[in-house]
Amino acid sequence: MNTLQRIALWEGNTTTMWRSGFANMLRKENHAWWRTRRWWMQLGLWTLVIDGLLALILFGLVKVQTDATQNVEQFDLVTMGLQAVFQLGTTFVAAGVIILGQGLLLGERESGVAEWLLTKPVSRAAYLLAKLVASLGGVLVTMIVVPCGIAYGLLAIANGAPLSLLSYLTCVLGLSLHTLFYLTLTLLLGVLVDTRGKLLGAALGVLFGGMVLPGLLGRLALAMPWVLPNLLPAFGAGATLPVSIWLPLGMTAAFTVVFVAAAIYQFQRLEF
Amino acid sequence: MADQLAIETQRLGKSFDEVQAVKSLDLAVPQHSIFGFLGPNGAGKTTTMKLLLGLARPTSGSGTIFGHDIVRDSLAIRARIGYLPQHPRFIDSMTARETLRFTARFFFSGPASGIEQRIDEMLKLVGLTEKADRPVKGFSGGERQRLGLAQAQINDPDLLILDEPAAALDPIGRRDVLAVMERLRERTTIFYSTHILDDVQQVSDTVAILNRGALVAHGPIEHLLNGGDHTVYTVTLDSAPTDALAATHARVSTLPWVTGMETLHRNGATTWQIGVTDEHTAKAQLLRHILSDARVTVTGFAQKKHELEEIFMNLMEVA
Repeated sequence: MNTLQRIALWEGNTTTMWRSGFANMLRKENHAWWRTRRWWMQLGLWTLVIDGLLALILFGLVKVQTDATQNVEQFDLVTMGLQAVFQLGTTFVAAGVIILGQGLLLGERESGVAEWLLTKPVSRAAYLLAKLVASLGGVLVTMIVVPCGIAYGLLAIANGAPLSLLSYLTCVLGLSLHTLFYLTLTLLLGVLVDTRGKLLGAALGVLFGGMVLPGLLGRLALAMPWVLPNLLPAFGAGATLPVSIWLPLGMTAAFTVVFVAAAIYQFQRLEF
Repeated sequence: MADQLAIETQRLGKSFDEVQAVKSLDLAVPQHSIFGFLGPNGAGKTTTMKLLLGLARPTSGSGTIFGHDIVRDSLAIRARIGYLPQHPRFIDSMTARETLRFTARFFFSGPASGIEQRIDEMLKLVGLTEKADRPVKGFSGGERQRLGLAQAQINDPDLLILDEPAAALDPIGRRDVLAVMERLRERTTIFYSTHILDDVQQVSDTVAILNRGALVAHGPIEHLLNGGDHTVYTVTLDSAPTDALAATHARVSTLPWVTGMETLHRNGATTWQIGVTDEHTAKAQLLRHILSDARVTVTGFAQKKHELEEIFMNLMEVA
């Protein structure tokens, strides 16, 4: 049987339009996450950063203060713990996602691999979305879900009873959306700029520059993603918020949709 | 005619800021041809290929591949072609086999055994079977080029676009690549750029020469080697009386389809190089006109064949 006859037996990959090549690209991107050491390195790092910090606050601080014969309210410890996970953690994870994602597109643009791949029947939207979906899966599991799951257990131990699961899951959702915001921003910048220095400067500028926004924008800042690191721990602790938590969450989700749409639009016009 | 063309461009152009990289290019690449795309560095060959592949957008004109528009139908076009870039780049962590498997899955989702068989065939074709399971990271330039050729053919494309396919290969590798191209001629069209003019003369049937973004020659290679529209015949004459040669020279040079005559003397023999505008009339009548004087004896008569290098250099100098 010759090649042509054998190929005729193959089921042609007839997917067209924007999904063309998505499954193959996703398989390749997932392979890079889950069939290499990347996943366990990220998991180890973020478990150590988030849960290590939390454990230090919950149990290390108790020991120090007990030794000093001071009375420590369990409530204060849990509040501090929630701040460690959802305030510091949110900022750390965002910075981590920016650093991790800087080469997501630029790496392949710089090496020439993107140019090679885009001569195959893969749509540019599929190429970008496969990278986004695989990265989101990896980031969610290794940087958010597992560390936050462990954190929930640690907080329950320190509190003597489980925290409100619904409130906690809302905080995890907020952390996830905040992370997605920076992941999609990094993806968009990977299309817009051509060096890692520019990408890192712009993305980290948005992350840390956003911290001064509340002072500049007043109440409008309460609807922005940058307010989440302050609102999430307060929401988790049951405090009264100046605005519904769903407003900044919704705005953050809207920003990510805009970033993805802009990245696809610009990537369609990118020349190699 | 258009149905029989693999590639057709009409006034295709591309400019970057002030630089016009490709100027109003009219190309017609017949199906099942091996089309050599020549030009010095910076002539616009790679840019033209990128326009055809959808990696860049034309700033003027249009183009089709198998009747599909290169801008609107890029995805449909890419499903039918294979491309080898000038400097092949792959995912370094993948092995050669994984690279081919990954490439094949863009085109086929059928039985894995069929795909694996095809991968083995391609590895064998380019002589990489023994290195199939080594990471691409450790491959030499020549091995990357071979892998590039294998991945370009994995989908049995209707059109192969090869950018300098033999540039990084040793003489044996080059010979193998040319042999593969010859074998593929029956079922595919090959559009390739190269600097190696010997290779073009050896395997191409159609040629286009590009200089500073503009097409300076385009056509069947035989036509080009025969002098294009300016055919030259070489006539070698045995010793003959001077007045007989002069009379014949005068008679022939006044024929309406003769554009010029140049006389060369070597080892006692006289050679005329006669330029003609009508190749068929010249073929049928030129020798008869010369021999009409019985004192003149012809020992050699042939259409002058040019070397591609000579044509190429002349065109570059004129440009």
